[in-house]
Amino acid sequence: MKFIASQKLSNNSSLRLVMLWMLIGLIAAMGLNLIAKSIDYGTSPQAWNSVILGNPDEFQEPMSFNDLLLTIHTDLFSLVLIYILIASLYLRTSRSSTFKIVFLGISLAGLILYPLMLLTAQWIGPIAVSVAGGSFILFHAVMLLGGSELMIALLRRRL
Amino acid sequence: MRERPLHFLALAFIALVLFQSVLGGTLFWRTIGFNPASILNHYHDKSIHGLLEVVAPHTLFITVALMATLHFLSFTPTVSEKIKRAAPYLLFTLLILDQGSVFMIASGFELFAYIKLASFILFEFSLGWVWILIFQKTLKELA
Repeated sequence: MKFIASQKLSNNSSLRLVMLWMLIGLIAAMGLNLIAKSIDYGTSPQAWNSVILGNPDEFQEPMSFNDLLLTIHTDLFSLVLIYILIASLYLRTSRSSTFKIVFLGISLAGLILYPLMLLTAQWIGPIAVSVAGGSFILFHAVMLLGGSELMIALLRRRL
Repeated sequence: MRERPLHFLALAFIALVLFQSVLGGTLFWRTIGFNPASILNHYHDKSIHGLLEVVAPHTLFITVALMATLHFLSFTPTVSEKIKRAAPYLLFTLLILDQGSVFMIASGFELFAYIKLASFILFEFSLGWVWILIFQKTLKELA
């Protein structure tokens, strides 16, 4: 956000500390999110497919469209906040504008593809579930890298 | 050029909140329905705990989304100060009416089914109007 993006954090020790702890919280939340998802859906594309599309061999019913909508709607509450907070702080870094747009673009693509692919999985098939899982991991990986870079920059007073 | 990532983020934010609104709207339409009778039927026998489980996260997320949206609006020089001051009152009042109505419906005040529907639709249109005000400036600068 523009307020965070336009403040020189190295000159403001209290705001710098708030941002540092916010990043620790967001990184912890993303780690917990990955663990929770691996427990709910599994850690392989086959496991994700079984939960979303069902598995007749194991008498597993596919997830209903309403349940899928509710899960995605709930997930996006936290993922959008994580994206906006880390991205707005990332604008403060000394990276080039092109790099920042690529960073924001890749993570946004992950954030949009994850729900879109899950919602269309019953028409597209297992490949959509795999893309959704990959997008979920991509989003978290990019945000974790960005968050870690921001933490280092804050600790070195480069932000 | 220096402001380009900020414009990208503003557009991304609007797209994400819009996407989340469409998802929420679809969920509402499929599970409850957009008419006062079905809203009344859905909420009138809900427990306070059940309502809080839905209202609390929505209030939190929408408040943060409004804060971010309105703060982008406050940095938009083409918008008058009058609109910048009126928009928060309008949006937060509609949010309170929309989210608070469910408790009144559960308490037996049937009129609030109409108030919930009207405040929800007005809220969506008002938010869209604020986004158009922000978009106008951003799109002109991106061009």
